[in-house]
Amino acid sequence: MRRRDCLGLLAALAWPALGTAAESGPDRTLRIGLTPVILADQAAFLTRWAAYLEERCSVPLRFVARESYQPVLDLLLTQRVDAAWICGYPFVLHERDLSLLAVPSWADEPLYRSYLIRSRRLAPDIEGWRDLRDRVLAYSDPLSNSGWLVAQAQLSKAGLSAGDLRRSFFAHGHRNVAEAVAAGLAHAGSIDGYVWETMRLQGMSAIDDTEVVWRSEEFGFPPLVTLRQPSHARVDALREALFTMPRNPEGRALLDALNLDGFVPGDASLFNSIRLQAMQIPDSGVQG
Amino acid sequence: MLRRLPYRVQIPLGLSLAVLIAAILVTAVSAQVFTRSARAETLAQVDRAVALVIAQVRPMLVADDTWRVFSLLRDTAGLLPGAPLGHARLAVVDVDGRVFAASDPLRLETGRPLLGEAWHGAPLPPEGVTRSWRASREDGSVLRLDPIASDDGQTLGYVLTEIDAAVFGADWPALAGNALAGIVLAVALLLPAGWWVGQRMTRPVERLAMLIGRIGRDEPGKLRAQLPHTADPELARIGDAVAQLMDELERRREAEERALSAERLAAVGRMTAAVAHEINNPLAGLLTATRTLRLRGDANDVRERTVDLIDRGLQQIRSTVTALLPQVRVEERALDPDDLDDVLTLVQGTAERLDIRIERSLEVESALRVPSAPLRQVMLNMLLNAIKAAGEHGRVETALHADAEFVEFSVANDGQPVDAERLRTLIAAEGGRDPQGFGLWVCQELASHLHGSFVPDPSATDRTRLVFRVPNREDPASPS
Repeated sequence: MRRRDCLGLLAALAWPALGTAAESGPDRTLRIGLTPVILADQAAFLTRWAAYLEERCSVPLRFVARESYQPVLDLLLTQRVDAAWICGYPFVLHERDLSLLAVPSWADEPLYRSYLIRSRRLAPDIEGWRDLRDRVLAYSDPLSNSGWLVAQAQLSKAGLSAGDLRRSFFAHGHRNVAEAVAAGLAHAGSIDGYVWETMRLQGMSAIDDTEVVWRSEEFGFPPLVTLRQPSHARVDALREALFTMPRNPEGRALLDALNLDGFVPGDASLFNSIRLQAMQIPDSGVQG
Repeated sequence: MLRRLPYRVQIPLGLSLAVLIAAILVTAVSAQVFTRSARAETLAQVDRAVALVIAQVRPMLVADDTWRVFSLLRDTAGLLPGAPLGHARLAVVDVDGRVFAASDPLRLETGRPLLGEAWHGAPLPPEGVTRSWRASREDGSVLRLDPIASDDGQTLGYVLTEIDAAVFGADWPALAGNALAGIVLAVALLLPAGWWVGQRMTRPVERLAMLIGRIGRDEPGKLRAQLPHTADPELARIGDAVAQLMDELERRREAEERALSAERLAAVGRMTAAVAHEINNPLAGLLTATRTLRLRGDANDVRERTVDLIDRGLQQIRSTVTALLPQVRVEERALDPDDLDDVLTLVQGTAERLDIRIERSLEVESALRVPSAPLRQVMLNMLLNAIKAAGEHGRVETALHADAEFVEFSVANDGQPVDAERLRTLIAAEGGRDPQGFGLWVCQELASHLHGSFVPDPSATDRTRLVFRVPNREDPASPS
């Protein structure tokens, strides 16, 4: 309930942005779309972060959070937000329309891994992807690399198809994947390793009932992106504010809350592993 | 035990016990009613929860959104009694009879075949059920299956609801705690009130009892004024009865006073008649003597005899009057041994004229507390009677003896012996007959008044010895 309440509050805060283009009209508010790549349902933290960035961008700033990736991507592609924090998979999918704004750095690298987690009580016998036959698997989002694309690739590699699972479902966020597995709704779940580790760091109870049974190779960390278009002073200011956060105590505290080191410029080549993986998945939408 | 207590304690205590028993009974009945109503309320809550799930879950089922169905079931089940302890659970079953999602996935595993299978020892209906199915198990648990239908009537799935028996069982420790608190509260509030009401109820009764206890000692009029006025009909009847009793006692007392007054008047009348008789007897002779003097007074011998006759008649009248004087005199002091000497002096002239020797004996061992006036009269009457009975040259013996218990005065003469029967004849005054011995009758009356006796000594066979004996105390009416 608390998570949905927060999301509802954030949606209400973002409502004016839905009706007007970000670059048109007198409204100069800088809008940033958020997806479940981070634990974005902490309203107090987002308020503090928005205030921090506002001060440095010299324009009003507002976060626009959605439970799924597609709505945020739609907002970005229709210019209803100026930037968005999305997953590497949709970045690769829409690479021609998007440009990197900043890539978060976690554990000193702009990289992360995908985890396969199992329920301690319900499925202690799951050791890997091959053990998911006739089991229930929870995904995060159809546009999530760690929460869907990796799982598809690994299931395929394990010789399992969707029909070999007893059931699978999307939990609309990595955190929900952890909770679904912890509650026993699913035997296993495909989850963003950064999110799981951050939940563990924050002592969330769902982590106690889950175990990591598999870790993927490293992928480019979910980036903040903008539409590919001529640079704008407001966006440049935002980029600069993000890059300088580690040098500012207040920014450092915000990064600690995010369990990040900072933001780096990044490069499209960071997401090559995702791109290659997507190309192996017939339904991924990424062509070779 | 209770009946041995005073009435003023019995009623307040009884009311207090009644309050306590009533509180316990009300609590027990309330617990039973609460248990029954709690089951009905739980089932009503289940109805509302199922209706809520059916209304909300349709689009989620259509979207095949397991997570949102789980969220809905988890949140809704949290509203059911017993859910926090795992005694209530909800599940959505798909059209194939498998668990789509459940509020407690560890018990109702996702994807598990359910419909048509045995569940907790009882078979569930197969898929295709179009109406609500309910089962109440022997242990009190409830299991129900409600179909989820689309607007056009197609079955989209089912809501399975299971409530364990523990939810319907009374929480006796909690109930007992509440009941105890209720009893303590009721007793704390009502017990003093019951005691106060009981005291208030018994106060008129207690007052009536006190007034009844004072009847005979205090004035009835004063007691009647203190009778409690109460609106209670029973107590009012008791109060009226007590008032009536007081009235009757007062009337009786007044009647007794009137009777006593009448008796006194009668006694005075009898006394007056006796005095008149005693005086009238010599008067006839005296009148005859005066006529003799008037006719034949010139002769010396006649004159002398007539004057002697007149003298004796007057002496008799004087004796009679002398016998009456002490009775009318009011003297409060106690008898003194010198009173005997005074009386002897009074009769000394008469005794000397008849040449009668009077002997005196005095033996006083204790203080004399009897009143002097009646005793002086008794002594005078008995001496005059003895002198008369002894005759010329006779002998009279007097003795006054007193100890702590009695005062005894006796007079003996050597005249004709008088026994008890003769004495009764002499002093008989009842029936309107004239008393032959007025002085002895007075002694008899005084002996009766002073709670004593006046009898002849039966051992004195050759003479007459009359004994006047009364208790040696000031108030003759009160026992020693």
